[in-house]
Amino acid sequence: MIGYAWAAGAALACTLAGLAMRPRFDLVNVAMVYLFAVVLVAQRYSRGPAILATVLSVAAFDLLFVPPQGAFRIDDMQYLLTFAIMLTIGLVISRLAENVRMRAAEQAKLEAQTQTERLRSALLASVSHDLRTPLAVMCGASSSLAEGGERLSAEERQALARSVYEQAREMSERVAKLLQMTRLETGAISLERDWDSITDVAGAVLARLRGRLASHRVVLELADDLPLVRIDAALIDQALANLLENAAIHTPPGTVVRLRAWRRGQELVVSVEDYGPGLPQGDEERIFAKFEHGVAEGRPGGVGLGLAISRAIVVLHGGRAWAERAPTGGSAFRFTLPLEEQPVVPAEAAA
Amino acid sequence: MTTILVVEDEPEIRRFLRSSLGAEGFRVIESPNARRGAIDAGTHRPDLAIVDLALPDYDGRELIREIREWSPMPIVVLSARHQEQTKIEALDAGADDYITKPFGVGELLARVRVALRHAARSPIGQVLVLGTTKVELDKRRALRDGAEVHLTPIEFRLLGALAKHLGMVVTHRQLLAEVWGPSHVGQTHYLRIYMKQLRDKLEEDPVRPRYLVTETGVGYRLLADEA
Repeated sequence: MIGYAWAAGAALACTLAGLAMRPRFDLVNVAMVYLFAVVLVAQRYSRGPAILATVLSVAAFDLLFVPPQGAFRIDDMQYLLTFAIMLTIGLVISRLAENVRMRAAEQAKLEAQTQTERLRSALLASVSHDLRTPLAVMCGASSSLAEGGERLSAEERQALARSVYEQAREMSERVAKLLQMTRLETGAISLERDWDSITDVAGAVLARLRGRLASHRVVLELADDLPLVRIDAALIDQALANLLENAAIHTPPGTVVRLRAWRRGQELVVSVEDYGPGLPQGDEERIFAKFEHGVAEGRPGGVGLGLAISRAIVVLHGGRAWAERAPTGGSAFRFTLPLEEQPVVPAEAAA
Repeated sequence: MTTILVVEDEPEIRRFLRSSLGAEGFRVIESPNARRGAIDAGTHRPDLAIVDLALPDYDGRELIREIREWSPMPIVVLSARHQEQTKIEALDAGADDYITKPFGVGELLARVRVALRHAARSPIGQVLVLGTTKVELDKRRALRDGAEVHLTPIEFRLLGALAKHLGMVVTHRQLLAEVWGPSHVGQTHYLRIYMKQLRDKLEEDPVRPRYLVTETGVGYRLLADEA
């Protein structure tokens, strides 16, 4: 529809231009102006608008510029030829332009497919490695218990059973992350927002991850007067947990992981900072992609979804997530949560 | 002998529950669906029920409501991950606690023991011990390292509401209804503010609470030693 409007507009503009030119320019030049407009419309839009532009242009040209002005004289062979040529040019150009547009669309589709394909193969590689390793351990350990348990010492039995348990736990974490990423990507998650305190959420995360963070010293810098946030606490809990786990995996045992939060304008900034080697220059964005693992340390465990999940959750809340060099020299993984007007809690005497 | 009813449709899950609960000396009744579970609850009169929320015939929450109509027996719910809302509804329907699948037997047994102890306990004259802090709920007195700590009436009520379900989770809704009244069940921010105050007064490290524990997205849990 918009193409037709442009076609009519172009013909009108040419007519006005032609009228202005007319005292000093030849009729041929006026025709050229019309042709130019037809080419532009044909190049930009499909065949219909091109035809309309041609018809309007020839009609206006004939009516207003070809003597006798104010009347059609199509019997004049010259202008029939002008019409034919303009129409042909318009059609040819619109056809060419259409082809180019189609090819570009195909190209884009192909690229999207390649991207999906790349992700799918990354997913498969990830699933096969990260899920099959624990499965292999569980299979082996549990079968030796089931088939030859009585020949093993009590300690060996205990160790095998424990390793089945640990691997199953690990795998359950990984499957949960895969599912969560899928949920986030397909928009199958709706936020259950409520007022919450980031200190509360952090406390629960630290309690749950006690085992996984045991190798590091976690320092909390959460001010006493942090504003409340309206969040889906279960999701922000995951986002924060992923950042903390990430820090513990990628930095040497015994180092400090610092969790800070502060208010900045209309948002709350939450920052997980470590004393590790820091991110290689230019990796700050790449690491948030799906199935990405840190380069230097190979595949230290996990499916490479933690940061991608954290970012998706934060974005869903209207915040941002990014990585930068930390004041500690290591890396800082940060996210923001938008702040709303703080809710009122009545003073106790009135309650 | 303490009897536990297990309502769960997966036979493999029933199998390990049966053997691990059996090894702890419990008698285990197994029901593969909600209908059977309702009947078994009535005929066997168990001391505690473990109810899976995703049952083939009807919703575990519905079963909880049915049992609650005639029995205060403790109910521990088995729930899947990412089901905060279902979990909360089960708790509000009358379940006492939950555990998320997959779980280790140790966790489950801990939940079961707390719930059984709770059912057997008389709630009068309660004294809570939170590390070096002692709270006498009946006398409305709190002592930290022997020195008196002032708690406001709301703080006492909040602590009392949690203490009623000592060791078990209490949902935001339940706490708000009990402390501020049924018209305030949507004011979760009250809880955030007062829980912080309580932690500041009672916990040694308020940002890493040991006694007033957050159950993210669900509610709070009071872990205290009873004197």
